[in-house]
Amino acid sequence: MKPNALLQLHPMTKFYFSLFILAVVLIVPGYWFAFSVFLGLVAISLLAGVFKEFIGIVLKALVSVLVIVFLMQIFFFPGEQVLWRWWIFEIKQEGVYYGLILTSRILAIGSAFVLFFRMTEVRDFVKSLEDKGMPPMGAYVVLSTLQIIPEMRRQANTIMEAQKTRGVETEGSLFVRAKAFIPTLTPLILSSIAGTEERALTLESRAFSAPVKKTSLHKLTKSRADRILPILFVLIILGLLVWRVVLWQTS
Amino acid sequence: MKRSFKDDFSLMAMLLIPIGVAINIVGFQLTNVLRLPIFLDTIGTILVGVIAGPWVALLAGLITNLINAIFNPVYLPYALTSMAIGVGAGLLSKFGFFKNVPKTIISVIVITLIAVVVSAPITVLVFGGATGNTSSLITATFLASGQQLWTAVFSSSFIVEIADKVVSVLIVFFIVKGMSDRYLSKLKYGHLYMKRRNRS
Amino acid sequence: MADIVIELQNVSYRYPVSDDYVLKDVSFTIEKGKFTAIIGNNASGKTTLCNAIRGFIPHFYKGDLEGIVRVGGKDTQETQLGQMAEQVGYVFQNPFIQVSGVKDNVFEEVAYGLENLGVPVDEIRLRVEEILKLVNIGHLRDKNPFELSGGQRQRVALASIIVMDPDILVIDEPTSQLDPVGTEQIFDIIRLMKERGKTIVLVEHKMDLIAEYADNLLVMSEGKLVMQGPVREVFGNPEYERYNIQYPHVTEVALQLQKSGMPLAFLPVKDSELAEALNLKGVVACD
Repeated sequence: MKPNALLQLHPMTKFYFSLFILAVVLIVPGYWFAFSVFLGLVAISLLAGVFKEFIGIVLKALVSVLVIVFLMQIFFFPGEQVLWRWWIFEIKQEGVYYGLILTSRILAIGSAFVLFFRMTEVRDFVKSLEDKGMPPMGAYVVLSTLQIIPEMRRQANTIMEAQKTRGVETEGSLFVRAKAFIPTLTPLILSSIAGTEERALTLESRAFSAPVKKTSLHKLTKSRADRILPILFVLIILGLLVWRVVLWQTS
Repeated sequence: MKRSFKDDFSLMAMLLIPIGVAINIVGFQLTNVLRLPIFLDTIGTILVGVIAGPWVALLAGLITNLINAIFNPVYLPYALTSMAIGVGAGLLSKFGFFKNVPKTIISVIVITLIAVVVSAPITVLVFGGATGNTSSLITATFLASGQQLWTAVFSSSFIVEIADKVVSVLIVFFIVKGMSDRYLSKLKYGHLYMKRRNRS
Repeated sequence: MADIVIELQNVSYRYPVSDDYVLKDVSFTIEKGKFTAIIGNNASGKTTLCNAIRGFIPHFYKGDLEGIVRVGGKDTQETQLGQMAEQVGYVFQNPFIQVSGVKDNVFEEVAYGLENLGVPVDEIRLRVEEILKLVNIGHLRDKNPFELSGGQRQRVALASIIVMDPDILVIDEPTSQLDPVGTEQIFDIIRLMKERGKTIVLVEHKMDLIAEYADNLLVMSEGKLVMQGPVREVFGNPEYERYNIQYPHVTEVALQLQKSGMPLAFLPVKDSELAEALNLKGVVACD
């Protein structure tokens, strides 16, 4: 299979792209633009071959938030032009407008970050940050966190199962369920912490704090696109800013 | 001053961060599994603050929200809240506010206030007042009863946060009590919680 | 006179959270290229001794260290922890925690130490390839370190240290959680390292293997170094019995036979010596 050109981009380029989306969505007024940006992101996800994962997360994580945000605005945003009224509830024109602005922006910016992480391995992103000058300790912390989470999740499940067999209730009233929380979490925390001393010795044994510049088997390369795109992003943002200022002065 | 900042980040403190983050994330998932109405997603951050100091906890808070944001970008702006809670817990610990139960209760209140003061503006400015969690319902009720948006968000956020932080901080208090002196002796504020007095 | 690479002079130590000394006035020297085994019962100070040689005491564990520890001629008190990794390789008991925790496959895991030492990438690849072959874990190269068995992980841990090519290897009970096959494989690697001229310090309970491979013994009891010397001399010394530490099986059998009146030509410590030790005095007559 031919490697996808979009996925091949340097992680920083993709990251700048997310920031670029954030900027343009905040600069350009109106909700039509932000909604079309979202459609643009959908198109990119299709081209990059990550549409399914992308849209899955957008639907799961963002849509419910957007519905709530929108409902809040249409009912509670202060305004005069009432469109619809029932009992104590009224929908106002201003609320609908602000609701659309807010939801379109959250959708566009949120999706840009979802797309970024669908197109970028966290490992590559961390590496690119390290290349940018993040201390190796920081890179270690992030990567090791990503390995520890599934490990701890597995242990939490094991402990919960063990507790069920010992008769600790995990179903039933709120109080009963809350009582199951502490005996599950505390042993998990104490046992994870007990391992850190040996982990520290392991790292020292692997020369983690050796006073030299580290090398890395993992290398990221920059293509021509990676050099041009960030400049393009900055130019577009500057252009939009100028356009906004002009528009604002002439109006 | 610069030196003491760097000293905070010993290898042991660094290795605590992934565990703190994992506690936050697994703790939160556990509340989902057990269908509890609070989040308990800052236990790790507070714990890190208490034994390793404010700066390490700031990092733990930041990383927690960044990792959560991979699957739900709504978490991203709230990274500020997590970081502030970490710094707050670290400073409280420095001045001995986790040493016994009465002082710990003061910590609960301070951490709750930090959480409310930092997260409510994000909720209002970024999300227009609600993000669809437990407190949104309370916010809506307050709004429907005629309150202003800011007041509604602040009050609902306070109600949810205080319940969350009472439980989180108490869990941290007991976990720290359960830690060995041997481990505590290797962390910045560990000596505050050791059972035996440190030879100096 | 032979090169002395490890030297302890009147070393005493206690951990910061305890009042009792775990090492009490320990002095010994180890020559370059020698394989020294530290033996003793639980909590006799073996691991603490290893930590002192590696510089984890006092740099990591803090506490009070008295006396002098010299490794490669330098006082470890004055050496930085990070500088010692290249000189002293350290492998310990628990194979499950001894992974970097940030690498996805065995190849990268083994390469990690070299990356930290700033070795050029091309050289890293060559050296890792060589070690994978040497330690016989080439078939695991693409596996995730978290998915390996205890024995495999311990071999990966050993490989990850050996690849950095330290002059001294300190190995603390590497086989305590392994089955006989795993143990055998680890000792094969240690033997190879000895052949390459490495100085080896090993804590181990399996006396048969110690008798087979080690040159010298350090016997620890309650924080004190109570006996030291060549393996055969220490096991042969009647004083050894006092410390209630295991003998190699063959030695124990021979001692029993001796007690029951059978004369021994010499005290066997290796399995292969038993026949010889008995035969010389005409075991045929025994019935």
